[in-house]
Amino acid sequence: MSRRRAPLAVLTTVVVTAATLTASTAAHAATTTFTPTADTYVDNAATGTNYGTSGQLGVDNSSIKRTFLRFAVSGISGAVSNAKLRIHTDDVAGAESPNGGTFRSMTNVSWSETGVTWNNQPAVDGSTLGSLGSVVRNAWYEIDVTSYVTGNGTFSIGVTSSSSDGADYDSRESGATTAPQLVVTSGTTEPPGDPVWVGAGDIADSGSGDSATAALLDNIQGTVWTTGDNVYPDGTASQFASYYEPTWGRHKARTRPSPGNHDYHTTGATGYYNYFGAQAGPSGRGYYSYDLGNWHIVSLNSNISMSAGSAQEQWLRQDLAASTKPCTAAYWHHPLFTSGSNHAPSTATRPLFQALYDANADLVLFGHNHHYERFAPQNPNGGLDTARGIRTFVAGMGGAGAYSFGTIKPNSEARNTGTRGVLKLTLHSNSFDWQFVPEAGKTYTDSGTTNCH
Amino acid sequence: MNNRLLITLISAVLLGGVAIGYTVLSGSAPEQAAHSVPTGTGPRLMVLSNGKLSTVSRDDPAGSRQVTEQRCDRAYSAAGTISCLRPVGALKASELAVLDSQLKELRTVPLTGFPNRTRVSANGRMVAWTLFVDGHSYAANGFSTSTGVLDTKTGTLVESLEEFAVEGMPQRPVDTNFWGVTFTADDNRFYATMSTGGHRYLVEGDFAARKVRPLVDADNVECPSLSPDGTRIAYKAAVNGDPQQGWRISVLDLQTRKITPLAETRSVDDQPVWLDDKTVAYGIQRDDGLNDVWAVPSDGTGTPAVVVPEASSPAPIS
Repeated sequence: MSRRRAPLAVLTTVVVTAATLTASTAAHAATTTFTPTADTYVDNAATGTNYGTSGQLGVDNSSIKRTFLRFAVSGISGAVSNAKLRIHTDDVAGAESPNGGTFRSMTNVSWSETGVTWNNQPAVDGSTLGSLGSVVRNAWYEIDVTSYVTGNGTFSIGVTSSSSDGADYDSRESGATTAPQLVVTSGTTEPPGDPVWVGAGDIADSGSGDSATAALLDNIQGTVWTTGDNVYPDGTASQFASYYEPTWGRHKARTRPSPGNHDYHTTGATGYYNYFGAQAGPSGRGYYSYDLGNWHIVSLNSNISMSAGSAQEQWLRQDLAASTKPCTAAYWHHPLFTSGSNHAPSTATRPLFQALYDANADLVLFGHNHHYERFAPQNPNGGLDTARGIRTFVAGMGGAGAYSFGTIKPNSEARNTGTRGVLKLTLHSNSFDWQFVPEAGKTYTDSGTTNCH
Repeated sequence: MNNRLLITLISAVLLGGVAIGYTVLSGSAPEQAAHSVPTGTGPRLMVLSNGKLSTVSRDDPAGSRQVTEQRCDRAYSAAGTISCLRPVGALKASELAVLDSQLKELRTVPLTGFPNRTRVSANGRMVAWTLFVDGHSYAANGFSTSTGVLDTKTGTLVESLEEFAVEGMPQRPVDTNFWGVTFTADDNRFYATMSTGGHRYLVEGDFAARKVRPLVDADNVECPSLSPDGTRIAYKAAVNGDPQQGWRISVLDLQTRKITPLAETRSVDDQPVWLDDKTVAYGIQRDDGLNDVWAVPSDGTGTPAVVVPEASSPAPIS
């Protein structure tokens, strides 16, 4: 099947603005255009069919078609002054409609482009961003989504129609000239000088990855965290001296580590405790806490008992209860949430996560799988929880050889393997910014902001 | 806590009940609405769409697809038998599910480890699987696998090929690992990879005789896949004999022992699949963890091309 594409010359023929545009007042505003990272539609006339690879997006009320769009906004600095969704009607007969659809934000931003069907579709559950009236074929339309796209992050928009004469839009598969766009205009406000907290896990070995990530730390101030497997293969004193010390060891004085299973290849992880000394908390215990700005931060040990009632879990609950900080973060090695194909989720860590959830914590960092993955805020059972859920990251990209992914788990919002880097967190008084900083020569990045509970 | 567990259990049972018999995996696609991509009848490919059992048309494999709610981390199908390695869940370990083409569950086998490979014999009778155990993989310094075979006709279950005798090795070494089984047309003989002492052998197995024979003149053959006509094996060959350098997908002619590296020059870590006697398919993972099914001619000519975007575990079905 071949459909005619919109010629470039007619791209600007008709533009209807659905809502009033907010004028940008920033002196040095920057505009960035994003294309969807996923888009598809579902149709209740074919309830088990996925259209993720189609060049078309449908909205209709008979049969019922709903469209889903997802964008990954990254690299925006300063406040967003305006964000608009631009969408192009298909250049085929029947693409036009008296009703271009209602556009709403969605909680679920991790649906699978080639897995979504009518049967398993994500809910279009957010606030209404705008609606389009009559649309003609082969034309661009805009929806103001400034109320939703307020900064870096991952965003989903669902489109529905109450008309039995539906509209058809071009999907990202239709090509660059007609694919949907998210146009974000932002100011150049300098971020305030809040504490920076940066690190990774799975770090030092005989290869060069640890040198590449240590070089990133040379240019990032703040406190350094590690999510375990500080040195390979066995966490011995000589391996710390040979591999860790010449690389991440440059930043040892500002490092607050956590231990991994490879650190525990040496009995009692004595190499780890002797190398880091008091910065690893009480020697031999492996869990401790500290404060940074408005944040309380807990480093935990997933190589010892974590069960409910264990010494560590009891200590954690008391430590959290004693904290007066409005925001809380924690980190340890074995991930409770991961899509990695090498190490399955470590359910033994769940009591620690439960204690943090019970204390309204905001952020948890893991390692163990040698790549990067970001999850939406979840409850201890892995359910999406936008009210009290904890955002988690697997940050195992500190230097060791990269691992693959298996089946992508629910609520996984961003992933990369093959790019070493560090995860830079800026701890604001009531929120945090995250930024994946890639090794020199690589381009992958991921950034966003989450508010504290 | 107990109440929550119970609720989860009940939900899982209910969901399982809904999923079974949900969708028929063969035959024609349902009626399509206007504007949708036509799917038509005819031969199809079974794939996983991020862990969901799906089918696409062989004529338009990049078009719309039928997606079921049956979850597998790895799957294969032949002659109406589907092997599905179910993912590790919060409440239980992995398992093999043998399903018919209506997704009716015929048998399950509890397994431990991470699903990695599975295969069904062309007649639909024999089912094999490989799991990583200890959570290690090829990327780590060392890894361990568990490979088993089920005869769905007799019910005979071999939980691990490590139970089998190895010809030429009176005492089987303790570090033996098997992976990547492929069956011949007689539903008894099979090929697989055996590793011991850091060396990887192609073995020919005899299920009834419970033994394997290393084919010492066919070195460095991993994840074999027998062609439909039974004359060639597609496999992944470690570059320079070193898996750390990646794998080149290659074809071994069983008669002449001639090895043909295929035109795919990127590293392929998959058990290849023959779409027909001239075409070899395999999965390649993108940086973001999504996979695409690629294919390349089996004679070393041509160029690789995506067959099914955002899919893995391909299996041709009729």
